[in-house]
Amino acid sequence: MRNLFAMARRIISQIVRDKRTLALLIIAPLLILTLVWYIFGAKTSEPNLAIIHYDSSDYMSAFAKNDYKRMTPLQARQALADKKIDAYVDLKNPVKVHLEGSDPQRNGLAMSKIQESMQTMQTITVTALKDELTDVIKAQQKDMQAQQQMIAQMAKAMQIYAPGALAQITQNAPKAEQPDSPHKQEKVTLDVSYLHANDDLNTFDAFGPAMVGIFVFLFIFMIGGVSFLRERTTGTLDRLMASPMKNYQIIWGYMIGFGLFVIVQSFLLTCYIVYVLQIYNVGHLLDVLIIVFILSFSALSLSILLSTFASNELQMFQFIPLVIVPQVFLSGLFPIDTLPGWVQAIGNLMPIHYSTEALRNIMIRGSGFSGWWLDGLILILFSAVFITINILVIRRQRPLTS
Amino acid sequence: MSFPVKGEHLHKKFKNQIVLSDVSLTLQEGEIYGLIGPSGAGKTTLVRILLGLEKADSGKIELFEQRPTLNAFRSLGYMAQSDALYSELSAYQNLSFFASIQGLHGKAKKSRILEVAKAVELDKDLKKSVAQFSGGMKRRLSLAAALIHQPRLYLLDEPTVGLDPLIRKKLWTLFHYLKEKGATIIVTTHVMDEVAQCSRVGLLSEGKIIAEGAPKALMQRYHVSSVEDIFIAVEKEGAKK
Ligand SMILES: Nc1ncnc2c1ncn2[C@@H]1O[C@H](COP(=O)(O)OP(=O)(O)OP(=O)(O)O)[C@@H](O)[C@H]1O
Ligand SMILES: [Mg+2]
Repeated sequence: MRNLFAMARRIISQIVRDKRTLALLIIAPLLILTLVWYIFGAKTSEPNLAIIHYDSSDYMSAFAKNDYKRMTPLQARQALADKKIDAYVDLKNPVKVHLEGSDPQRNGLAMSKIQESMQTMQTITVTALKDELTDVIKAQQKDMQAQQQMIAQMAKAMQIYAPGALAQITQNAPKAEQPDSPHKQEKVTLDVSYLHANDDLNTFDAFGPAMVGIFVFLFIFMIGGVSFLRERTTGTLDRLMASPMKNYQIIWGYMIGFGLFVIVQSFLLTCYIVYVLQIYNVGHLLDVLIIVFILSFSALSLSILLSTFASNELQMFQFIPLVIVPQVFLSGLFPIDTLPGWVQAIGNLMPIHYSTEALRNIMIRGSGFSGWWLDGLILILFSAVFITINILVIRRQRPLTS
Repeated sequence: MSFPVKGEHLHKKFKNQIVLSDVSLTLQEGEIYGLIGPSGAGKTTLVRILLGLEKADSGKIELFEQRPTLNAFRSLGYMAQSDALYSELSAYQNLSFFASIQGLHGKAKKSRILEVAKAVELDKDLKKSVAQFSGGMKRRLSLAAALIHQPRLYLLDEPTVGLDPLIRKKLWTLFHYLKEKGATIIVTTHVMDEVAQCSRVGLLSEGKIIAEGAPKALMQRYHVSSVEDIFIAVEKEGAKK
């Protein structure tokens, strides 16, 4: 126990004294995530739109002043040519849309905005039609009421002069039907509902869980791996092996020493993306933290394992394209359902795959323990396997005492 | 008389290269054993095999007359040919760590750190980070780390390389002092005037111990006036056969 503690303390002082490593471990992931957030997460800007021939149109109310500038046809054409606006709508019957057209993304934005307005426009048309109809119905109803009044007066007279005959008539007469309560507002717009999350979810929110996994994994992998590799190349590992330290103490000392930074890093990173970048998260912060932490542990144990096969730092970094890049592509950033079976099988061997799954369940679907325990368990199993192999490797290098 | 280290019929190959062939070596308690031989002779390999850092292809090793256990490492101080220090840490932190994993704690640890630092003349530089140390300072710190837990057996791989003559002399005084206190030391070296100070020397050449004995006795046996001449004499003898 004391040995473990000594190991851990040494690793902590090493990292604390090495400011660069500390910065790389703590700040670099935050910086990169911020960058990614700007790239994927920026709320797409509103399109610049205008309308012309609006005066005579009934539809003007569908094109709010904030969204559509009022222009004369000449102004609009000029603005479109100068790329000051992305599109303008001609409200003369039939309605026409003129797009600037050089940037597909802006075209799409403009079109979806205009379509939204067109839906309102349809509602206006339908409402107008209904109003007309209602007027007709109302007129008819008036006529009917007059008739009914007449009938009522006749009935009164009959009551006085021929009560018997009246009883027979009321029995046989069809009951006057109550007219339908006039026009329930009918919806023309498509009503979209989301099982999880809502339409505020931007690309970064969806990528976020995978991104967190990738960056945590990458930085822990690099620093943990290089640090253990140095232990090997400088010969300090030999010194440890020529001491009464047990094999598991060497490996676990590392795991614990780095574990502390992993806790700090996971905490900062998670708080940063949830509170500062405000990534979509409906789950518990603690659940997120646990997953990030477990993932870092598997990254650390894997990096120690791979450092066995490297004889210098450069070789350690050569593992990055081999270990990290496939994880980026197979981790769930991109859909993999359509890939061939063997690629999917490789995906199932990747720790980040499970962390992404777990983090999506937590952050987007808001699941609790039941939503991530299996993925968490698999990640722990990964670490357990890696750690066991690491201990066996150390054991093999101390042939005398094993 | 007990034998802190005993290696019998050790063989070692790296790929196709035979590095040790049938080397047997027994250290007696309280002696300084000098392992000498040209570069690439296999000195480091032999020391590492004795420590269990390298696996011999065949042969048997005993430490303190037992099959080696982790416990044996409590009484064993190893100084590798490379300095094997944590360069981010200060000298004090380095020593403190190596003391801790040897089971030293608290006040005992602290006083022991100061003691060994003084012995290698680094007591004024303990606060400095090792990255700022000169080569010789690193060498001495590395030695201090091997001394820290007062082992009974030292395996020192070229402990004085890169040191100035004055400090070298001081360290040898230290080795003799340790020896007087009953420690056993095995030193590999290239420096011939150090060889003369050993109780016994073993000459390692091309993976074999070609001669072994007290330096003076060896020189007499081969009728030479210096230890390096023994290598030439032995070679000539081999050629005659
Ligand atoms: N890990 C290794 N892999 C392959 N060959 C090795 C390895 N370690 C040592 N050797 C080879 O074994 C031989 C003996 O090396 P060793 O380090 O024991 O020599 P040495 O006597 O200590 O030399 P020096 O005086 O230069 O330190 C050398 O030829 C070296 O190339
Ligand atoms: Mg050597």
